Amino acid sequence: MSNRKTRYFVAIMGTVLAVGLGTGLVASYMGLPVSVFSSAAGPDELQYVPADAAVVAYANVRDVMNSHLRQRFKSLEPSQDSRNEFEEKTGLDLEQDVDSVVAAVMPKDGMANNPAGSFLILARARYQASRLEALALEHGAQVTEYQGKRLITHADPDLNDPTPDNMALGFLEADLVGFGSIESVKAAIDARASNRNIVSNNDMMKLVNEIENANAWAVGKFDAIASKAGIPAEIASAMPAISWFSAAGHINGGVSGTFKAEAKDEATAKNLRDLMGGFLAMAKMQAGNKPGMQQLADSLAISGDGNTVALSFAISSEMIDLLEAVAKGRQGQIRQ
Amino acid sequence: MITRRMGFVEASRRVFDLSLGEMLWSRRTIFMALVVGGPVLLAIIVRVIESFGMSALRVDGQRVGGFGVFGVMIWMLFLRFIVPVLGVFYGTALMADEVEDKTITYLFTRPISRGSVLVGKYLAYLACTFLVVLPSVMIVYFLLVPFSQVPSTFGNLLVDLGLLALGLAVYGGVFAFVGAFFKRPLVIGLVFAFGWEQVTLAIPGSLKQFTIAFYMTGLVPHAMPSDGVTSVLQGMFRENPAAWVCLAWLFAYLGGFLYLATRVVERKEYILEQ
Repeated sequence: MSNRKTRYFVAIMGTVLAVGLGTGLVASYMGLPVSVFSSAAGPDELQYVPADAAVVAYANVRDVMNSHLRQRFKSLEPSQDSRNEFEEKTGLDLEQDVDSVVAAVMPKDGMANNPAGSFLILARARYQASRLEALALEHGAQVTEYQGKRLITHADPDLNDPTPDNMALGFLEADLVGFGSIESVKAAIDARASNRNIVSNNDMMKLVNEIENANAWAVGKFDAIASKAGIPAEIASAMPAISWFSAAGHINGGVSGTFKAEAKDEATAKNLRDLMGGFLAMAKMQAGNKPGMQQLADSLAISGDGNTVALSFAISSEMIDLLEAVAKGRQGQIRQ
Repeated sequence: MITRRMGFVEASRRVFDLSLGEMLWSRRTIFMALVVGGPVLLAIIVRVIESFGMSALRVDGQRVGGFGVFGVMIWMLFLRFIVPVLGVFYGTALMADEVEDKTITYLFTRPISRGSVLVGKYLAYLACTFLVVLPSVMIVYFLLVPFSQVPSTFGNLLVDLGLLALGLAVYGGVFAFVGAFFKRPLVIGLVFAFGWEQVTLAIPGSLKQFTIAFYMTGLVPHAMPSDGVTSVLQGMFRENPAAWVCLAWLFAYLGGFLYLATRVVERKEYILEQ
């Protein structure tokens, strides 16, 4: 390469290629946390979810509450009395004050008998800590401290219960509370303090990061839950061998969503796709020429290749109009 | 003075050295820059649209994510258009340009084998196209795919890069033969790449086995997009031969046509029009 211009060109293009390949290789194979250059690695609350969580779910409550769909069905909601009573006691307006909720399941032995012991709920909201504390003390709870965070704990009054429900509410941040068993809430505080949380679980975070444009989602390791949930052996053996799953939905004027599952092998995934295809065909036949139902069935789509199976749907606001009209028509017929 | 005949490898290296600069700074490079810059520009537009919270591509009302858009670009722009078009324009010109410019005589009077001229020029074509196409794909990938999705999609990018490199090599080899053998190589090349290959893929039967695209598409890690009647037909009659079968045929095409091209160059008498 006698020409200097050519040498520069080769060097620049080679560098672009090498930098790209190097970055990708480091990110993929050396465990670079996916959140390093990305702000899309899920909500901040995930730092409180213990690394052994098998299921993580998130809902952007504010987004859902403000959605056109929710505004549309607001008139159909039950009376405000019970909500007002809750607000009076806690000072928390569920509609205005709650921003988001994260739920996690940490599978434990005996989870089937004591499911509450495995759950953790993290709610980001504008709440009045002193008012909540006073209310809890009134009802026999205790206030303690763990790692500098205030915990309201409530022991199960049934002393003979072999799996007591000892629950706790922890004030994790000024606008974040953790609720669950005492062990779960303490584990959440430890997860944040030690930085050993779900964000460092690359398998789980890959699923979280694949979710786009969803205001509610859930991801999880299916087999970890199935093995601890106490499912009868006959049912467990008949269930498809799914290792991971993710479900994501977006609610605004309409509702759209995707459910994805990763099977243990390609044959299982193919069987699942065939099975779902059969159900879909049956649903389309059942829908016949009923306008609303037909469009609903048409919006369902099965996809995926290799080990993955995906089912997606999209219900547009026009389709909801149609379904609403069909439902109202039926109600009218019943009244007559 | 008696000049010693240079070895095949050394002669190819010398021709490569000379041809790379010529190829990179020729008028054809402007065309290549436009062709390869298109996807980069599109990726920037998609990125800007996405940054405003809108979706650049929707299928059945569902938003297509960054990697999905990247997959569509690999299929529609790179595999179906850029790779064959670069193969045709550069591959057919390897020898044809020298004939047209009447400079082939100077090359053939050097103390080197005629075959090494073609091999050197072919290697320069590979270096030139790899250095332009592959970084462009890399830029498009990092523009479209969020960094958080890199760990789960990087393997597919490596497959894409390998596939594009193989595609450039095979198309280049085939069209190097076309350029060396036929008198109107560009027309024949265009008819092959955008006529024969597209039509045979869309009709049932075994004719598609006589195309490069058939084996290339068998190796693509992305789902095939349906962008029109041709794509739908191609999707309907698409067969997926095993990866090793595709690779074996692609390497056979590469080796076979490159060998034929060197044989043609060694034996053919090029008559320069006055």
